[in-house]
Amino acid sequence: MKNLSYADIDNTVLGTLQPAGRLYWLTIVLLFGGILIGMGCWAYLIFFGIGVGGQNNPCFWGTYIINFVFWVGIAHSGTLISAILHLLRAGWRNPIARAAETMTVFAVCTAGLFPLLHVGRIWVIYYMLPLPSQRTLWPNFQSPLIFDMVAISTYLTVSALFWYTGLIPDLAIIRDRSTGVRQNIFKILSLGWTGKFEQWRHYSRIYLMFAALATPLVISVHSVVSWDFALGITPGWHTTIFAPYFVAGAIHSGLAMVLTLMIPLRKIFKTEKIITMNVLESVAKTIVFTGLIVGFAYGTEQFIAWYSHNIVEVETFHYRTFGHYALGFWIMVICNSIVPLLFFFKSIRTSIPWLLVISILVNIGMWFERFVIIITSVAHDFIPHTWGTYSPTLVEFGIMLMSFSMFFFLFLLFVKHMPSISMTEMKELVHEEQSHG
Amino acid sequence: MDDKQVKVTGLFKDEHQAAGTITAVKDSAWKLIDVHGPIPSEVISNALKLRPSMVGWFALAGGIIGFLCGYFLAVFTATRWDLIVGGKPIMAYVPFFIVGFEFTILFAVMGNILGLILLMKLPAYRDLADYSPDCSGEHFGVVVGCDIRDEAEVKTLLADRGAEIRT
Repeated sequence: MKNLSYADIDNTVLGTLQPAGRLYWLTIVLLFGGILIGMGCWAYLIFFGIGVGGQNNPCFWGTYIINFVFWVGIAHSGTLISAILHLLRAGWRNPIARAAETMTVFAVCTAGLFPLLHVGRIWVIYYMLPLPSQRTLWPNFQSPLIFDMVAISTYLTVSALFWYTGLIPDLAIIRDRSTGVRQNIFKILSLGWTGKFEQWRHYSRIYLMFAALATPLVISVHSVVSWDFALGITPGWHTTIFAPYFVAGAIHSGLAMVLTLMIPLRKIFKTEKIITMNVLESVAKTIVFTGLIVGFAYGTEQFIAWYSHNIVEVETFHYRTFGHYALGFWIMVICNSIVPLLFFFKSIRTSIPWLLVISILVNIGMWFERFVIIITSVAHDFIPHTWGTYSPTLVEFGIMLMSFSMFFFLFLLFVKHMPSISMTEMKELVHEEQSHG
Repeated sequence: MDDKQVKVTGLFKDEHQAAGTITAVKDSAWKLIDVHGPIPSEVISNALKLRPSMVGWFALAGGIIGFLCGYFLAVFTATRWDLIVGGKPIMAYVPFFIVGFEFTILFAVMGNILGLILLMKLPAYRDLADYSPDCSGEHFGVVVGCDIRDEAEVKTLLADRGAEIRT
């Protein structure tokens, strides 16, 4: 990194904004097709009602909530990387911070779709807002679902503002190197930034304040999501371990998604000089750490169920491990806590194919974690005669396809039209490394 | 600036050279108008004797207002439907802290953004007139204001200290 000049950084990043080829646009069209399929499924749901999904009595929560929790989880690594690691002065975060923040913003947008879908009657969604409606009823602020609405909307606002604030100096760089309409667009977007030291004086402090505020927020958001479950008395959910367990799981899945996106991106955009193997290796080491926490949480849940001698709790965890959805449980355990241990071997965590494969496996494992937590608990409640099963319908698969398509569609549009690596933060990193020999 | 005044910009690749020039200009009769750079530099900030930003106060004020708004919104809405359910009190004072906390962060960030707008005076499209685009790349730009008759002298000062000159 020391050998990079500021011009090298600018040229490499600006090179990623060159007009795209046919393959890029073909991918964009395919992803847009995925979005259209999902929109069609949503329209079908609105027309025929929420019953077109596989949700039933007792499984009232299905893939809409599974995907909601999954995407909120994916959103967590961006803030971890941009805020927490910024406060910890971890230099390896700089090359991937922008992409991770972008991932956060788009993942929260995607997550935000699912409560809208899940309520079915989207046109009365304003019931969730703290407004005196025609029902003369206000939202119940004692409900974890309303905590969640407040937390997610705060998280979306804060991460979008943090992301945009970080972009301002880079937008000015693009403005200074472009002409015509493009220059005018970036002139407006960069808000007239000139890099005056009077601006830097406030900017550095503002960025630090953002990081300091986003850090407790990111911890709170997934804790609040976990309380959607833990504040209910449903067996398998009603436990104090849920908040830290969910936060660790969220960061675990988010870091895996960072690897899944960064590995092809650095190859396509030829940014290997900036997103070095050391950066990917550092992400892999953090995945080992979060994987161990998640594995510990799986073990603790099982242990506490056994140790409590509570027959309902014991039955729930027995069902999770060996019941209808045992395959999902074992995918979850193997992909999230056993496979990442391979990163203990340097040869594996420095191998691009291994990094990519393991990151995808962790993503699959984390999706199944949400499936197992949500479905096995509601399907196998207190009273045996109410037990049931759940399987998603084609409508739900279509909507799931929409969520993945939308996330990758937005991300791909961003990386081709905006700087996906923070030039300013890279220059700061190079400056720091050169200053310290 | 009247007709007899000009602005000369010296572009430096090295922050120490720029800092030395800043000190020299401040000690002279000429006016140091602005210093631009691609990254924040502690060396240059020290030469400019910049004080820490006050933006933290905006965030603090936002945070306090946010907590009060969030907490009392929850209290107010609870009093609008004062039906006792399961013998539980109408006011759930402890869970309301969660709403208060989220509003604290939200409003503190809004305060931060207000600080950005007011203290950094953004948007600032007029500033682009005196700005050299090289300063977003790899140069630190020192903008000096002087009488037109001193222009050559200022250019010499900047050039002697390793600057490329822009007028």
